[in-house]
Amino acid sequence: MNAPSKTLDRPPALAVRGLTKHFGGVYAVEDCSFEAPAGQVTGLIGPNGAGKSTAIDLISGFKLPDTGTVIFKDRALEGLPPHVISRLGLIRTFQAPREWPGLTVLENVVMARWDAGREGFLRGLVGLGLTQRGTAADELVRAREILDEFGLAKLRNERAGNLSGGQKRLVEFARIRMAQPELVILDEPMGGVNPVLGERMAVAIEAFIASGTSVIVVEHNLPFIERVTQHVIVMAQGTVIAEGPFETLRSNRDVIDAYLGEVVKQ
Amino acid sequence: MSAYLVSVLTEGAIFGIMALGLNVIWGWSGDFDLAYYGYIAVGAYMTLVLTIGPAVAPAQYILGLTLPYPLAVVIAVLCSMAVSLVVGSIALRHLRGIYFSIVTLGAVYVMYVLAGQYVPLFDGYNGLSGLFDPMGDWFGLDYQSYQYFLMGLCLVLFVLVFLFMWRISGSRFGMALRTLREDERAAAAFGRDIYRLKLKGYVLGAGVGGFAGALFVAYLSAFNPSAWSPVEIIVLYAAVLVGGRGNIWGVALGVFIMGLIVQESTRFLPEVPGHPQIVLALRGVIIGLVLVLFLRFRPQGLLPERRYVDAQPKLEPDARPV
Repeated sequence: MNAPSKTLDRPPALAVRGLTKHFGGVYAVEDCSFEAPAGQVTGLIGPNGAGKSTAIDLISGFKLPDTGTVIFKDRALEGLPPHVISRLGLIRTFQAPREWPGLTVLENVVMARWDAGREGFLRGLVGLGLTQRGTAADELVRAREILDEFGLAKLRNERAGNLSGGQKRLVEFARIRMAQPELVILDEPMGGVNPVLGERMAVAIEAFIASGTSVIVVEHNLPFIERVTQHVIVMAQGTVIAEGPFETLRSNRDVIDAYLGEVVKQ
Repeated sequence: MSAYLVSVLTEGAIFGIMALGLNVIWGWSGDFDLAYYGYIAVGAYMTLVLTIGPAVAPAQYILGLTLPYPLAVVIAVLCSMAVSLVVGSIALRHLRGIYFSIVTLGAVYVMYVLAGQYVPLFDGYNGLSGLFDPMGDWFGLDYQSYQYFLMGLCLVLFVLVFLFMWRISGSRFGMALRTLREDERAAAAFGRDIYRLKLKGYVLGAGVGGFAGALFVAYLSAFNPSAWSPVEIIVLYAAVLVGGRGNIWGVALGVFIMGLIVQESTRFLPEVPGHPQIVLALRGVIIGLVLVLFLRFRPQGLLPERRYVDAQPKLEPDARPV
């Protein structure tokens, strides 16, 4: 994979400092700090309740942090609403696939690209530069290419809600390809996914990197983490307890105690 | 053409415009808005107070201007939109589903009680009257020919609103509204400003409702609280549901079917001597029954929302289901 030196001179894709969030008396995330290198796949692992999903919600603007800061492209993200963060080029997925079930697979992919110029009401009415059903021709071409890439071409006119769980995951990946963010945070993409599809997802993640999208992936499937990541962050009880390449974490006592124990014994 | 047919077509066209406006809010944005009839009423009331001239005691109402009807319609629509902007900016911020519906029900009830109880506004339960054949004298129309004129006008305006909605339906704006209906968290994750987008759709729908209300008073000549009990909204929802929520062709079909039911369903029922209300009540029962049966057996309506079908032949022969 990428040599670390190659990325040292680049600012990180994302820097999180002192992020804290509590619900009532429970600290879901407490003084959480990490950096995700640009141009790499960063894994975020940890036991259930470690605060991974809350951290993602805080980073992507779906929840407001109590304290702490999130730096993306030299901007502090905390306090910004989700759509603004998304428009800046940071897109996240959710634990359960969130396709637009009543729209077709193709429409799901086309609508993944937010278009300030064309989404206004007046533009919709006047329809300058629009073609069939509000979809610019080049966008359609691009969406078809992406669906081809993910083996979804035949399903493009199917309503996304009718697909299997695994196919919905692929639709989410296709949407990210379409949106071309600078950073994507994948929340448990392997949930309910078979090994064949998992390999396809690993390849897709490599393609994200090749196209200039840095990746953070939250996952419980450790072989998958080992397969796709160059850098891993381990969270437990709301904070980062270790980080580094996956191989070095195998021998880390804290990580073993908190999370890896079972896997290492095997 | 019989006078009956003329009135049915006129009402049908106005009802159709109302349903098309509701379709923006419920069909596309996906919000079950119970305040919608309030925006129709604002359009109706405002058109009246802007055209019928000063109040003569004991009647009392605001403004009492004698503006030309088309100008009054424009102002009335803007008023509907302004009221919906206030309601929407509160109700759409965080509330969804049944919570949104409850707040909008509260909002329409406030409007209803205000119009009924606060007499200096729209003369309370007496309501307003006196808009006779607007624009008729411009064309020198007598009472009889005016009915045809109004029918033609309403039908033409229905077609124009339909074309307007057809344009919006396929636009990026229309598609973005649907992404909110389908999954708004995903819509936000892909750059959509949920609140502003929903508010835009809401105000647009309310404006169309206000427009229909303005036409409605040209037909009725008068308007009072008994003309718009909040229950009226059910018939509109039934039309959108039966035809096909989200599909403007379906909405047009639903308006036709519900119009037929409302007008004709009780025609062949025998009168019950001494109980003239029963036939009218049965009409409500039939509407309710149609609503329930469709919700149970065909919630997508007779003409479900159509999706874009991509006909481009594909290079890769297999889809490899995984």
